Amino acid sequence: MSTRQSATLIISDGFTCCAKCSASIGPAGQPWKHLTAVSVTKVSELPGSTSSTHQSVEIRHFSCPKCSALLDSETALPEDPFLDDVISN
Amino acid sequence: MDPITFSIIRHRLYRVVEEAVITLKHVSGSAITNEGHDLMVSLYEADGTLLLGGVGFLHHLTSAAEACKSIIRRFEGDVHEGDLFLLNDPFTAALHTSDIYLVSPIHYKGELIAWSACFVHVYDIGAMNPGGFAPDAQDVFSEGFSSPGLKIVDRGNLRQDVWDTILNMVRGPEMVALDLRSMIACNNVAKDRMVALVEKYGLPTFQETCKSLVAQSESRLRERLRELPDGSWQSRQYFDVKGEVYKVLLKMTKVDDELTFDFTGSSPQSKYSVNCTKWASLGGLFAPLFPLLCYDITWNEGVIRPIKVIAPEGSIVNCTKPSPVSVATVGAIQSVNNAACTTIAKMLASHDKYADQTSAVWHANHFAVFMFGKNQKGGDSIGILTETFAGAGGARTFADGVDIGGEIPNPISRMANVETVEAMFPVRYLFRRRLKDSGGGGEFRGGTGGELALIPHDAPDGGLNYVLSGKGSKFPQSEGLDGGNPGAINDYVWVHSEDSKDGHDCFSQSLSAIPGEKESISWGVFPLMGNDALYVRWNGGGGVGDSLDRIPGAVLTDVTNSLISPEAAREIYGVVITDNQVDEVKTEELRNSLRSERINKKVEQK
Amino acid sequence: MKTAKSYLVATDVGGTCTDTVVFTVGEPVILGKALSTPPDFATGVLDSIKSAADQMGITVSELLANTSLFVHGSTVVDNAILTRDGAKVGLLTTEGFEDTLLVTRGGYGRWAGLTEERMKNMVKTDRAKPLVERNLIHGVPERTDYKGSIIRELDESSARESIKKLIDDGVDAIAISYLWSFYNQKNEIRTQEIIKEINPQIYTSISSNIAPTPGEYERTSTTVINAYAGEIARQYIENLAELMKNNGYLGPVMIMQGYGGLLLASEASDRAIGMLECGPAAGVIGSKALGDLLNQKDVIATDMGGTTFKVSVIQGGQIEYAREPMIDRFHYTQPKIEVVSIGAGGGSIVWIEEETKIPRVGPRSAGSRPGPVCYGMGGEEPTLTDVFMLIGYMDPNIFLGGSMNLDKEAARKVFDAKIAKPLGLSVEEAAYGIFRIATAQITDLIREITVERGLDPRDFVMHAFGGSCGMVSATFGAELGVKKIVIPYTAAVNCAFGLISADIVHEYSVVKTLQMPSPLSEFPPLFEPMREKALKTLAAEGFTGDQVVLDWSVDLRYSRQVHEVTTPLKAPLPLTSDGLEILSRDFESLYERKYGKGSAFREAGIEMTQFRLTARGLLNHPDMSAAKTVGEDSSAALTGRRKIFVEAKSAMIESDIYDFTLLNPGNVIKGPAVIHTPITTIVLQDNQKSVMDQYRNIIIELG
Repeated sequence: MSTRQSATLIISDGFTCCAKCSASIGPAGQPWKHLTAVSVTKVSELPGSTSSTHQSVEIRHFSCPKCSALLDSETALPEDPFLDDVISN
Repeated sequence: MDPITFSIIRHRLYRVVEEAVITLKHVSGSAITNEGHDLMVSLYEADGTLLLGGVGFLHHLTSAAEACKSIIRRFEGDVHEGDLFLLNDPFTAALHTSDIYLVSPIHYKGELIAWSACFVHVYDIGAMNPGGFAPDAQDVFSEGFSSPGLKIVDRGNLRQDVWDTILNMVRGPEMVALDLRSMIACNNVAKDRMVALVEKYGLPTFQETCKSLVAQSESRLRERLRELPDGSWQSRQYFDVKGEVYKVLLKMTKVDDELTFDFTGSSPQSKYSVNCTKWASLGGLFAPLFPLLCYDITWNEGVIRPIKVIAPEGSIVNCTKPSPVSVATVGAIQSVNNAACTTIAKMLASHDKYADQTSAVWHANHFAVFMFGKNQKGGDSIGILTETFAGAGGARTFADGVDIGGEIPNPISRMANVETVEAMFPVRYLFRRRLKDSGGGGEFRGGTGGELALIPHDAPDGGLNYVLSGKGSKFPQSEGLDGGNPGAINDYVWVHSEDSKDGHDCFSQSLSAIPGEKESISWGVFPLMGNDALYVRWNGGGGVGDSLDRIPGAVLTDVTNSLISPEAAREIYGVVITDNQVDEVKTEELRNSLRSERINKKVEQK
Repeated sequence: MKTAKSYLVATDVGGTCTDTVVFTVGEPVILGKALSTPPDFATGVLDSIKSAADQMGITVSELLANTSLFVHGSTVVDNAILTRDGAKVGLLTTEGFEDTLLVTRGGYGRWAGLTEERMKNMVKTDRAKPLVERNLIHGVPERTDYKGSIIRELDESSARESIKKLIDDGVDAIAISYLWSFYNQKNEIRTQEIIKEINPQIYTSISSNIAPTPGEYERTSTTVINAYAGEIARQYIENLAELMKNNGYLGPVMIMQGYGGLLLASEASDRAIGMLECGPAAGVIGSKALGDLLNQKDVIATDMGGTTFKVSVIQGGQIEYAREPMIDRFHYTQPKIEVVSIGAGGGSIVWIEEETKIPRVGPRSAGSRPGPVCYGMGGEEPTLTDVFMLIGYMDPNIFLGGSMNLDKEAARKVFDAKIAKPLGLSVEEAAYGIFRIATAQITDLIREITVERGLDPRDFVMHAFGGSCGMVSATFGAELGVKKIVIPYTAAVNCAFGLISADIVHEYSVVKTLQMPSPLSEFPPLFEPMREKALKTLAAEGFTGDQVVLDWSVDLRYSRQVHEVTTPLKAPLPLTSDGLEILSRDFESLYERKYGKGSAFREAGIEMTQFRLTARGLLNHPDMSAAKTVGEDSSAALTGRRKIFVEAKSAMIESDIYDFTLLNPGNVIKGPAVIHTPITTIVLQDNQKSVMDQYRNIIIELG
């Protein structure tokens, strides 16, 4: 029995899991992004950016370490922590 | 409560607001009110409880409620039938000085039974720059006339002394007078229709219906919240003013049937006028909440009750007097708005039932350009580029965002025709079109923003000047959802040309083709003179889902239609196009390699 | 066969039915009806004419051979748009503005045409799929400025290349819409010539001809719609003319336009856009003709059929025009009679909103199939018609003149289970409630469209057309406080009746911004070419002297304001400074009437922006002969008594039932009462009094 956590994650048997391959990412009800595969792209390197773009700002992609499904993304300055989204029940 | 009478009165209340809006637009006759729909009309109960918020600029629904309550407190014992109050002080209730509230008590047989309130962005408010936005104001005192509550009509009689005093402090007093007149007429219509409604159904029935209407909204929202799992969701927005970076950090927590929005960790207040007072932040928070979470629930106080807000004093989302705030409505308020949009969408995404009600961020940044100067007819003109009301739609879980499709907090805005602008201002557009690679990548692409370029044309003074409160050129703010990328950023480029030749023969079709030196600008007053050009590009909406899951055919169509570049097709979507066809084999290979890059490109953990 | 007569035949093709009216002086008006037969409308047209001819005891050919004028209105263009059945269109724009059509002035095209409820759920809003794809839109190097000066000559070789590419891509039609072309159409004309040079078979529309008004988005959208449906309209009109000819008709074929006038088939076939919503426009013309006959200058015309409730306003004998007309969800700019509608008709489904337990009416409709529950054709959702049945307004045994029996018990059962029980009410109580909700929605709509124009419904007479209107008009008419309600004899074929009341109308306009006042020499160059063109066209159609009426008007606005008001030019031409003064004053009073007290903005000065000529060729219209009135006594038509819902009493009250066909002019009926006509039902509420007038209209006096 699993419930939905987001479009890309499910909660199953007390774990936050990849909705695509069901691989467990980490314990449910807790931050999970640090347990994923993180890849970082500088916004200034993306097609569509301009020379005004802040040189440090990046897009972080969080993927399932097992099946590489994209789980979430966020915009961040390198010094800022991951944003945590947690379902508590 | 008899459901039939309830249904009829509810419908009638909507019509009251609608008629009042029509009156406001008719009497005002201005472009910002009529094209931009930068207005709002709402109805309140006798104690200032929001009864019905109309479809206008939604940032104002809660602020105008506070304006009512504040007038009730300030004028206790001195509120009479036929009175009309003005309020525009941002530290009392308003968002910024140029959005003036006119608040009207509604009496029935001598008893105060309700209030109506409306606003328009007035032509001018006497701030240091024309049009109301004062990017370089050092404090609220440089941002024009401001009142925490002023009786402008006393028992049906206009107070001429007050009227004359206000108009004495603004540019284009006749235009401001018309704005004020439109709001007076609007309140009068609301008042007449409300009284007729009470006359027909009786005061007890009316009051009972109002109570039920608010109670119903509250119980429906609480029910919806209980359906959703408990949890907390975060969002973060960056923006820049003259090299200083500001952050709005939001943690939204849902427990049972209550939602708490906590802005702890947001930047301290700014010396620039992008700050929000707490009323502005509240408005910025509720603006997306109404259409996203309460799309089928009547917008009133019932929706506000289950919501708590924590905004640290002295921060950019709750600044202290006398911080400047004139740019709030296109400043920090939008970041509050965007952040709330993201956390609400994430929460809705946690339930199958609401998955298709989620959306990435729309139009994260306005690009307020107020042009002013002599027009081709020799008169003075001040006016906003209404393209700022035509932002990009965020992608949904079932469709791309709407290209240049509007914005969440102002559901029914639009922009003026090029021909309308060229008739009113001495300028000529070189182009106005959708902006390539602006929509955030995703399985569903964010709507595109746009780009435009203006040059002076037939200007008696050789051109115009403009006030630019241009955020959004450093950080993408239209956040994606479910892994989607954010939409691309704004940019404002002043093209200086030393060439003294007449600008008439410039028909350049891209920024790079416009002759002259290009300088990125964002803040202050700038010239559009001689052979200058102004280039503006505006942000796209956020994408939804994994770009590598986008149907390759949709990527090809976007390339064909110049909405994305072939590089974006390859780098973001992993689609290889050869001879205007998707190369399926190479696409599959490329997508696989991009996917494996993701899990193999380890980075330092936070 | 009877002796040769000069008949006037009008056929209106609607979404469901094709109606025909046959008229000649000294004989009763004959009404014909048949089902419409899209996409090949011809069958329905002939069936409908035949149904009228049958009643006259003659053949279609006999009827048409004796017809002097055939007038026609049709939904064919609306239909082509709604079903996306038009041409593959290419579009040429000024370079740099290729996206103008597709981005619809921002959110405008995303929310326009939606109900407030749907607008509020923004995540679910989208634009309609455009009529032209982006890859078939080409920007052409050329530019005209705001004064109409060409500041960049048309790059012919580039235009030629784009046209060839479009043709290679398989387009059937090309629309051309350049910036400011309404001031200077040279570049558009030249581009059109180039298309003709390359391939004369391609259908072309240019914006400076189709919609010569400022505002490139709306102008482009209009031009594209015209290109999209142009060939369909042209073929339709050609086929219709052919059909008439083959059936013995030798006279001219006239086509109704959305602005309420007729055009000769040959002229109408170039302007598909003109046919949009011409049926409802004809309905308003019919209402105006009736108002003229009854000496009513201020009329609210209402029409309630199966799916919608439509309303329009005639003020001071003047018809109101739409400000931002749309077809489907596409904007167009074209003089069009304003007809506003909501989804409240006899077939509207009654339902309960799950989340709030609030009962709702429409906008979904059960249509004619399966129809209301009481039709017994499989309808399982209660409709307004079922409610009318439950509250005693309809007689199960004499529906449609007795041709169909209705199942009241089935209606009761379904309504009880789906509406009354969930609301915790008895069937009667719930039915009263639904009736009240429906009438309140209608009242609100009418109030909105009158108030929007600064009008007070209490100054108006109401006309109630359509199959369902007679049952509710007494209620909402009383609430609005209108002076009286007229339920016309021709209520059921109103649009066709409107067709025979219309004139030939040509609309001309020139856009130019002039300050008020301006030198008098500015005006003749604007007015005279229009006059010359109009007189020439009308003369060619056979109208001269007294048969020609020229109505001039000017659009004015306060400087720096967005609202323009078309103001009739009452002073004679050539204009004098006194004439200008009168125009200026008329504008100001119209403006304040429309936009409310305090809206006038004299400080900024007044501008004239557009100069218009409406040129009419007057046709002979039905001269309704008045019957003699007899006494007030209506007892001969009294057929029985039964319980009906009386609003003021909130109860079913035993009331008189009358047969319309047995009534005579002058007869008076006091409410509460029901009058059954062969096709509809008229309800009188408590304390209302009605009289049948000399034209067999039922008049309910409220004043």
